[in-house]
Amino acid sequence: MTKKALFIDPGRCIGCQACVAACRECDSHPGKSMIHLDYPDPGNSTAAAPTVCMHCSDPVAPCAQVCPTDAIPIDEQGIVGSASEELCIGCGNCVHACPFGVPKLDLVEMLQSKCDMCYDRTSQGKLPMCASVCPTDALFFGTQAELMQKRPGVQAVDIFGFGDETVRTNNAMVAPAGKNLDRIPGGYSREPDSRE
Amino acid sequence: MNDQPLDYSILPPDPGGARPTWDPSAAAAGLIATAVLALAIYSGSANLLHFDAALVGYTLATLFLAFGATYRLVTWSRSPAARRYLSKSRKALLPRPLGDGTLTASAREVTSTVLLQRFIAKRSRPRWLAHQGLFWGVILATLITFPLTFGWIHFRAVPGTGSGYYVYMMGVRAAHLDALSLLGWLTFHALDLASLLILSGGAYFLWHRWSTRGNSLTQLGRDLMPLLALMAISVTGLALTVSSVFMEGAWYQPLAFVHMCTVVLTLVWIPFGKFFHTLQRPAMAGVGLHKELGVQKGGVAQCVRCGEPVEGTIFLDDLKQTMGELGLGFGDWVETCPSCKRLERGAAYRNHVKEGYR
Ligand code: SF4
Ligand code: SF4
Repeated sequence: MTKKALFIDPGRCIGCQACVAACRECDSHPGKSMIHLDYPDPGNSTAAAPTVCMHCSDPVAPCAQVCPTDAIPIDEQGIVGSASEELCIGCGNCVHACPFGVPKLDLVEMLQSKCDMCYDRTSQGKLPMCASVCPTDALFFGTQAELMQKRPGVQAVDIFGFGDETVRTNNAMVAPAGKNLDRIPGGYSREPDSRE
Repeated sequence: MNDQPLDYSILPPDPGGARPTWDPSAAAAGLIATAVLALAIYSGSANLLHFDAALVGYTLATLFLAFGATYRLVTWSRSPAARRYLSKSRKALLPRPLGDGTLTASAREVTSTVLLQRFIAKRSRPRWLAHQGLFWGVILATLITFPLTFGWIHFRAVPGTGSGYYVYMMGVRAAHLDALSLLGWLTFHALDLASLLILSGGAYFLWHRWSTRGNSLTQLGRDLMPLLALMAISVTGLALTVSSVFMEGAWYQPLAFVHMCTVVLTLVWIPFGKFFHTLQRPAMAGVGLHKELGVQKGGVAQCVRCGEPVEGTIFLDDLKQTMGELGLGFGDWVETCPSCKRLERGAAYRNHVKEGYR
């Protein structure tokens, strides 16, 4: 059985903030949104890009690997959770090691929290909060087959390039179908002038 | 992968020793710790003269705990991140030349993070109070029961007084106590006080679990059992007092057995579950201070993209080394702040994947 995942298509995102508001309503972190919604070119463009945890599988969760107290749990499906309250010492390692810029650190509470793909919902067959409200399906939750059926003109890519390294993830990005891509550029390159 | 189905089934094992394979050198360390404790029990109880054979179950469980906890601590400390921070934490807390303020800084840090757990108060005051109840209850109970079971402390009636006792520590007469005095009463009922502290803290946490909706990955199962275990120990312990004070010892023996079972199971479980944080957190108590001192010494690094402060330079260098040891080949990426990482990725997507989405 092909498992379900979040498929992210920034090209469809209209920056409406519905996902941010919905995430805040989640029972496991009421009042706090775990989703990042960034505007890459504010003032010139309405383009927006949502970031959720990609649940890295290879290398498996860099955030959890650099955690000095094993505070970040990973379940058998590869879902990477928020830090355990009793273990997290708020050191910030995970925040800076995550290649996608996902974990948040509350400096008052000295506690990390991050997107856990709405574990309490998805483990019961429900949609993650963000995908349940996204009006454009920029955040689509389902199997890859379901995605392709809905949008035949796309492909899903779950490998990201960071410099010479690649990171494989449980969630995937959506890209145009014809595009010859062996990886999605992660934005990091050792040559400063090739940064966009 | 493009048109292959996403494959989630093959995942490498958990990092950081969460599911450790058998580790002989950690086992050797565990055996040494067990032997040292056994030796201390033997000599501290005057070659088992003051050792109460009825308490042997507790002692065996504690010996196992010494093994298991040492084993887990050693395997945990092997992960690059833990190893680096354990040593930095220790260095930050160890007072260097007296008078330069590091001794007070260390004392302040240990009091605040280990004893008072102020970080919990910043998350929620009621939770902090409840945790303090659990913490001091467990500390009190540990300080009393461990030396008693090991035969390190024992009481002997002062002949002819009826309520007078001599207190012996490590075989040496250390104090005299009248069971009917306030101090005597407090001493003989200190465990009841510990139980009440644990039960009130535990009741809050139970209520909190019950009334909070949501079930995150971190809360599943492992949260409730330790709490129930501590509360079971307290309830059966109090039942012993009730039996001896109000019921002339009725049911004392079966109750004592049940109480011992709850304690033994809990002790044996400490290295494996949530209780392990009681060893992990104190071991990391100096990390905050290490970060502070690091910023004083090395300054704060600025994001290579936006110029905003990211973290201490020394902290980032530590992290790069950790990432290098873990084979994570994008260590230099930590010089870009998380927000700029996302923006760079967004820009790369716009420029190379879906060109020109505006
Ligand atoms: S995207 Fe970041 S937070 Fe999520 S699993 Fe990967 S490293 Fe951890
Ligand atoms: S902030 Fe918490 S979860 Fe993140 S690495 Fe540090 S201890 Fe682990």
